[in-house]
Amino acid sequence: MACFQFCYAAATASTIYPRCPDMEKKTLDKEVLAAVQRIPLLSLAAARILELTARADHTLTDVMDVARNDAALTARLLKIVNSPVYGLLEPATSLERAISYLGENLVVSLVLEDTIGSYMNKPLQGYGSASGDLWKHDLRTAIAAKEVALLNRDRCPPDVAFTGGLLHDIGKSILSEFLKERYQEILAELARKEVKDYVGGERELIGIDHARVGYELARNWGLPEVMQMVIRYHHEPSLAPEDLKTVVYAVHLGDIIAMMGGYGTGTDNLFYRLDQRYTDYLVVGPDQMGMLMLSVEEKFNETVETMQMH
Amino acid sequence: MAEIVLGIGGIGATNTMGSSLKTYALGSCIAVVILDPQTRTVGMVHVALPDSSIKPEKVATLPGYFVDTGIPALFEQMRRCGTKGPKGLIVKLAGGAQIMDQNNTFNIGKRNALAAKKILWGFGLAPVAEDLGDNFSRTVTLAADSGIMTLSSPGRPNWHI
Repeated sequence: MACFQFCYAAATASTIYPRCPDMEKKTLDKEVLAAVQRIPLLSLAAARILELTARADHTLTDVMDVARNDAALTARLLKIVNSPVYGLLEPATSLERAISYLGENLVVSLVLEDTIGSYMNKPLQGYGSASGDLWKHDLRTAIAAKEVALLNRDRCPPDVAFTGGLLHDIGKSILSEFLKERYQEILAELARKEVKDYVGGERELIGIDHARVGYELARNWGLPEVMQMVIRYHHEPSLAPEDLKTVVYAVHLGDIIAMMGGYGTGTDNLFYRLDQRYTDYLVVGPDQMGMLMLSVEEKFNETVETMQMH
Repeated sequence: MAEIVLGIGGIGATNTMGSSLKTYALGSCIAVVILDPQTRTVGMVHVALPDSSIKPEKVATLPGYFVDTGIPALFEQMRRCGTKGPKGLIVKLAGGAQIMDQNNTFNIGKRNALAAKKILWGFGLAPVAEDLGDNFSRTVTLAADSGIMTLSSPGRPNWHI
């Protein structure tokens, strides 16, 4: 009888509570982290360029030295610089000339597009976004983060902010597979104010958010610490290590500028919080925001035009 | 069926039956939509910032980027389609989203909406319908035949205003 009662009690509990959300979340959390482990490593050239550009004191010559050892990259850079966009009177035949025309940011963008473009360009089913939306958002964030950094040049290296902006949302490409159509549940939670923002919704549903997933991937890839921290804390910059907060806040603002400009990544829309403490690290007055958005718009259009010329 | 897609700062007007105007992903930007029941002309401008004084030289190439120059430029385009004047025109507004921030620090969406209403007021017009603010982007489609303004946003069913 005792046994029957035990079994009966168990059956009743499972009927009333058909699933245990916490257990499911933990399982998904582990599955997401296992998926991160299955992502192939970065190419040597990409890893070296990212390592280099994360250092505030690097020069364009350092970037050239890495690119010189990558024949495919060199060929692509020469093809782009000789495209009609640049209107050179004489074709550029040397890598040095190509890179000095294109600039470091475009080189980094091309390297990343070549190596991790398959993650950046795929449609994000879990965010209801189309192919290319994530890459455009990342590029727009990168340009905006750099513009913010340029206003604070004495304390924030602009090129580091740019590269951080390109990489900040890489976790979405993995988390998307686990969210699938379940984004409706996050939107419902936001509408009921059960979660404070979209990353809170991801954590509630899956047990992990896209920033943490991206951080785990960045660690796996051995990206420089500053990139790892930008990716991990771009929605919660106040939690970043003190010496890296300035650049993390620059990407935080860059991300917001991209979303305000209509370049989000889908269902998450603008459901993220501005961390007001950015004013402790960066000077960006509300009046400067309009000029920033205008400048980002113009530079983004130029970059997209150039990158499509290949 | 011709679909005229407007980018940021884009201005469009049409009275061709079966055609439509569309603009994608309004974040803090605003779509100002004008309908002329007399000539069956519909028009739309995708404005990004409230005031052109921030960069006057851009007005020559893209007047639709700013509220203060975009709305008069839209009237001008509609006049070319036969619209006589502001009297009797129907105006609708959509967009002006913002990031979650209780202090409204970067309130460009709200400033765009206020600037649009002020400029329209100068023409003796006020919006009959609006879908403004909140934390989601909007794509707007305007059908020339019916004047129906359809809004969409990722993860939501379409709606009309």
